[in-house]
Amino acid sequence: MREAVLTWCVPLELLCSHPLPVSAFLKTQVKLYTYRACAGKDEMGKMVSVINTVDTSHEDMIHDAQMDYYGTRLATCSSDRSVKIFDVRNGGQILIADLRGHEGPVWQVAWAHPMYGNILASCSYDRKVIIWREENGTWEKSHEHAGHDSSVNSVCWAPHDYGLILACGSSDGAISLLTYTGEGQWEVKKINNAHTIGCNAVSWAPAVVPGSLVDQPSGQKPNYIKKFASGGCDNLIKLWKEEEDGQWKEEQKLEAHSDWVRDVAWAPSIGLPTSTIASCSQDGRVFIWTCDDASGNTWSPKLLHKFNDVVWHVSWSITANILAVSGGDNKVTLWKESVDGQWVCISDVNKGQGSMSASVTEGQQNEQ
Amino acid sequence: MEKMSRVTTALGGSVLTGRTMHCHLDAPANAISVCRDAAQVVVAGRSIFKIYAIEEEQFVEKLNLRVGRKPSLNLSCADVVWHQMDENLLATAATNGVVVTWNLGRPSRNKQDQLFTEHKRTVNKVCFHPTEAHVLLSGSQDGFMKCFDLRRKDSVSTFSGQSESVRDVQFSIRDYFTFASTFENGNVQLWDIRRPDRCERMFTAHNGPVFCCDWHPEDRGWLATGGRDKMVKVWDMTTHRAKEMHCVQTIASVARVKWRPECRHHLATCSMMVDHNIYVWDVRRPFVPAAMFEEHRDVTTGIAWRHPHDPSFLLSGSKDSSLCQHLFRDASQPVERANPEGLCYGLFGDLAFAAKESLVAAESGRKPYTGDRRHPIFFKRKLDPAEPFAGLASSALSVFETEPGGGAMRWFVDTAERYALAGRPLAELCDHNAKVARELGRNQVAQTWTMLRTIYCSPGLLPTANLSHSMGKGGSCGLQLMNSFNLKDMAPGLGSETRLDRSKGDARSDTVLLDSSATLITNEDNEETEGSDVPADYLLGDVEGEDDELYLLDPEHTHPEEPECVLLQEAFPLRHEIVDTPPGPEHLQDKADSPHVSGSEADVASLAPVDSSFSLLSVSHALYDSRLPPDFFSVLVRDMLHFYAEQGDVQMAVSVLIVLGERVRKDIDEQTQEHWYTSYIDLLQRFRLWNVSNEVVKLSTSRAVSCLNQASTTLHVNCSHCKRPMSSRGWVCDRCHRCASMCAVCHHVVKGLFVWCQGCSHGGHLQHIMKWLEGSSHCPAGCGHLCEYS
Repeated sequence: MREAVLTWCVPLELLCSHPLPVSAFLKTQVKLYTYRACAGKDEMGKMVSVINTVDTSHEDMIHDAQMDYYGTRLATCSSDRSVKIFDVRNGGQILIADLRGHEGPVWQVAWAHPMYGNILASCSYDRKVIIWREENGTWEKSHEHAGHDSSVNSVCWAPHDYGLILACGSSDGAISLLTYTGEGQWEVKKINNAHTIGCNAVSWAPAVVPGSLVDQPSGQKPNYIKKFASGGCDNLIKLWKEEEDGQWKEEQKLEAHSDWVRDVAWAPSIGLPTSTIASCSQDGRVFIWTCDDASGNTWSPKLLHKFNDVVWHVSWSITANILAVSGGDNKVTLWKESVDGQWVCISDVNKGQGSMSASVTEGQQNEQ
Repeated sequence: MEKMSRVTTALGGSVLTGRTMHCHLDAPANAISVCRDAAQVVVAGRSIFKIYAIEEEQFVEKLNLRVGRKPSLNLSCADVVWHQMDENLLATAATNGVVVTWNLGRPSRNKQDQLFTEHKRTVNKVCFHPTEAHVLLSGSQDGFMKCFDLRRKDSVSTFSGQSESVRDVQFSIRDYFTFASTFENGNVQLWDIRRPDRCERMFTAHNGPVFCCDWHPEDRGWLATGGRDKMVKVWDMTTHRAKEMHCVQTIASVARVKWRPECRHHLATCSMMVDHNIYVWDVRRPFVPAAMFEEHRDVTTGIAWRHPHDPSFLLSGSKDSSLCQHLFRDASQPVERANPEGLCYGLFGDLAFAAKESLVAAESGRKPYTGDRRHPIFFKRKLDPAEPFAGLASSALSVFETEPGGGAMRWFVDTAERYALAGRPLAELCDHNAKVARELGRNQVAQTWTMLRTIYCSPGLLPTANLSHSMGKGGSCGLQLMNSFNLKDMAPGLGSETRLDRSKGDARSDTVLLDSSATLITNEDNEETEGSDVPADYLLGDVEGEDDELYLLDPEHTHPEEPECVLLQEAFPLRHEIVDTPPGPEHLQDKADSPHVSGSEADVASLAPVDSSFSLLSVSHALYDSRLPPDFFSVLVRDMLHFYAEQGDVQMAVSVLIVLGERVRKDIDEQTQEHWYTSYIDLLQRFRLWNVSNEVVKLSTSRAVSCLNQASTTLHVNCSHCKRPMSSRGWVCDRCHRCASMCAVCHHVVKGLFVWCQGCSHGGHLQHIMKWLEGSSHCPAGCGHLCEYS
C-alpha cells in the first residue's frame, strides 16, 4: 500500500512580467494561470495557460495576497498604502473594495473566519493594524490598533475556535494579541521583546484540545491550548503558549536558521498526528519542524532545501500535504513529503538544475 | 555600528573616504553646510558656530567662529551657508534678523566680515548665487527677501512676497536670474532677480507652510518642495504652469529637502518634529523610503550631501547636539525589509502569488546571490540605463489553478458529494465509492475500496480452487504472502480465504474496471431474478466471470447440499436471516431498512445467493466456525487509514471509518478518530458542503463529534393562549400568566414530559395519558377525538 503511486493534480507557479513602457505608470497585474502538473511515478506532465489578466491597479509592489476562507475572494496589499479585495470566483476578478486608511506600505493582510463576518486585518509600515469589516456590502474600518512603535510586519487570526483573536508581529520586537471582547472593543495583550530587532511572521497553531474531546461535557467549551509560532530578525522561531492565567509564555525556541526568519507557517492539522511548522529565512533555507510527542516540547528540524536566495514565504495547502515556497528569485516551488519522509519538489520542471520550477523567463516568453 | 562600511569615492581630483560616524556638539545644531572641498562642514545653531574637518575616521573641530566675550544675538544662527565657489566665504542668518558674512581668510580670530541688519525678524534662509561670487539672497520671517551684493554695504534689492514669512529661498541652477521662494501660506514664488517689483510666477504648492525647496541639480527645471502637509512635491517649472511631477507622502512635516547627487530621482528629507529619521526617497516610489538613517535621537535640523557629485555621503546635524556622517550603504532600507512576494494557498489548491516585477525583469542578467542584494534596485538604473523602470516596484499577481474551471480540490468536493457512507450494505457502499473514486481518476483510492470490500464482505463464496487458480496465475509476492498467511491461520475459513485471494487478484490486475461494470449489470439481473436487493449482488458480479472456476471447485468440496441449492436459494428468507446474524453494528446507521452484509459474519456470507448451482448457505455454515478473518486485516486497514490521513486525505480515512463502522473503530484510538472527524468536517464546511458535513456528523461514532449537531439548536416555545414566546420557563407564560400545558387527565400543570395527541392537541402527563388510553380511546379532554397512542 505504501508503495502505491498517487496521482496528484497540483498547481504550479508561472511568472509573468510586463516590460513597462515608460509612459505608463506603475501597473500591477493580476494574472490567472492554469497549471496542471501530474506527478506520477515516472512521468511528469505539465500544461500552462493563462486564464486571465487583470490590472490590480496597485501603484506599487504587492506584499501579500490572501484568499479568504472559501477561496472566493482575494485580498492584496501594497506599498501604495491600499488594500484591495477582488472577487475571484469562477476565474473572474472583480474589484470589490479598495481600502485606504494606512499611511505607509501595507505588509500583510489576513482574513478572519467567516463565522465572525467578513473581516480583514491589515498591518502596515505606519505602525498600525487596521481591522476592516464588511457591512451591507461596504467595507469600512472597524478598528485601528496603534500599539506598536515600529512597522507591523505580520498579522494572523487565531483559529476560529478561540474567538476573534489577532496576533501582530512588529519590527519593534513585540507581538501584540488583540482579542475581540464584543461591542467593538478589543483587548490588547502584548509580548514585549519577543524577538530582538523585530518580528517578521506569526502563525497560529491549529486548534487542538489537550486530551480527548470525549470527556468534555457536551455544550461546554473545550479547554483549548492556544499556541502560535513567530519568526524574527534574531534568526529564531519561537513558540508561544497561553498560560492558564491568560499570559503568554515562550514555550520553545527553535534554532536553525542563520539569518532573519522571514516566514513561519504552522501546518493545518488535517488528520495529521504530528504538529508541523515550516519556516523560511533570509539564509535561503527552508526547514520543516515536526513535533511528535504530546507535550509538544521536542521539535526536530528537517532541511527542506537550501535555496540560492532569500525565501520569503511558505504556505501550506489546505490539507497540509503540500508546501508552497516562494523565493527571492520569484519562483514558487511545491514540496511534498514522500513516503520515506523525504521532502521532494513536485513542481520541479527543470529537474537537472536543482530545485527550480517553471522559470520566469519562460513565463515572459509565453507572455510576449 | 557593526555593519559600518567604508566607502571611498574618487571624484575628479578629490577622493572621499569615510564611514558612518558622528560627533558630539556642544549645543543643538540648526543648520549645516559643506565646504566645496567636501572636507569641512560648518555647524550653526543658537549657541554654536563651528567648522569641523571631515576626516576618515572622525570629525575634528577645526574652528570655532563663535568668538568674543559676550555672545551676541548675531551669532544665534537660524541658517548657515558655505559659498560653493569661495572656500573662505560663509553666510549666516541670525534669529534677530541679521545676515552675517564670514571670511575665513581673515587673519584675526574674529572672522566676521559683513553685517546686514535690514530684516525686521528672524532670517530663515540665506543662499549664495551658484555662479555669482558676490550675490547673497536672504529670506525672512518678515515676509521680505533681500538680495545683497557683498561688495556693498546694503541690499541691492528687496522682494516682497506680499504674504507672511518666507521659509526658503533658492537660486535656480538653470537660470542665472531666477530664484524660488516658499512661503508659510503654501505658496511658491518664482522671481527674476532683476525685477523686484513682482514675482514671475506664483502657485500654491502645499496645504499649509512650505518649509523648504530644492532645485534639481541635473533636471534643472525641477523643484522639490516640502511642506507641513507631510508631502514632498516635485514640480516641473519649465512648463508654462508649474506641473506636479511627483508627490511623496512622508510621515511628518518636511523640514528639509535635498536632491541626492547623481541619482536623478532621489531626494533626502528630514522632518520638523515627531520623526527624527532622515529618509531618502525615490520620487517614483512615493510610498516607501528608499533608505532611512536612524542615528539621531532628536529632530534633524540640517542635512547636506557631502559632495555635489557623490551620492553616498550625507551629513546631518540635529537638535540632539550631534553631527553625523551617514553612508548610504549603511542606511536601513525599509524596502529591503519589505516582502516583495505574497503567496497564498487557496482553498481549491490554487495558488496566488504576487511578485515584484522588477525582480523578474532583473532575473535574466542577474548573477547568483552574492549577499549584496541589499542594495537594490535603486542603483539598478545607473547600472543599466537602458532599462528605464528597473528598480521600480510593481508586482505581478498570479493565481494558479489546477484545471480550467476547477481546482486541485475539485476531487475532494466531488468525492465528498458522491460518496455513499451509509444506508446500504457495506459491499455496495464499497463498490459505489470505488466507482466514484475511479471515475475521478483516483485509482489508488478506488482500489482501496475494492480491497476493503473484499476484506470485509468476502463471505467465503469462492471455493478453494479459486485460490489455487489465482496462485497459479502467479500473483505478486504480496499476494502470495497473503495466501500463505491465510492458509496457515485460517484453515477453517476456507471460503473467505479464496475470496480474498480473488480480490487480490483483482487488485493487482486491471480487471478492476471490468469488475465493477460487471457488478452493475449483474446487480440488475440479480434483482430481476431473485426479487431481492440483498447485498449478495456484488458477489454475483464477481463471481460471474469465474463461474467455471466455481464449478470446478464444487466437486472438490463435495457439499451435500449442492443439489438443493437452487431451491434453497429461492426460498431463502433473506431479511430474516440477516436479523439473525450477529449484526456488524453500524452505529447510527439505520439498520432497519437496509440489510447489510457485515462481512465479518460467517452467516451473512451464506446469504449471498449465487446463480450457480450450489448453496452457499450450507457451505459457509460448514466453514465458518471460527472468528473472522477480517481481524487479520484490521492492522493493515488501520495503517492504511493512518497513511491516508498523513497523506492529507482525511476524507478517505473518515469515509472508511464510517463505512466500516465497528469493524475498524476499535483499532483506532478515539482521539485520532475524533481528530479525523473534526478535520474532515472542517474541510467540508470550508467547501460549503453543509449537507455532507451534516451527514458525517450524524454518522460519526465519536460522541464529541456527533454532539456538534446538537449544539446551538434552540427550541422556541410559544404560549398556546397568547401566542407569545415563552421566555423563562417552558410551562408558564410570563405574559398571560397562564399555564401553557395542562394535563387533560389530572388538570395539573405538566412541567416535564408532555405528551399530546397530534390530532386534537390535547395531552398531559405521559403516565396519565397512557393509563387513560388503556381504558378509552377517546380524548381525555372530552373533545370527542379518537386519540391513538403509539
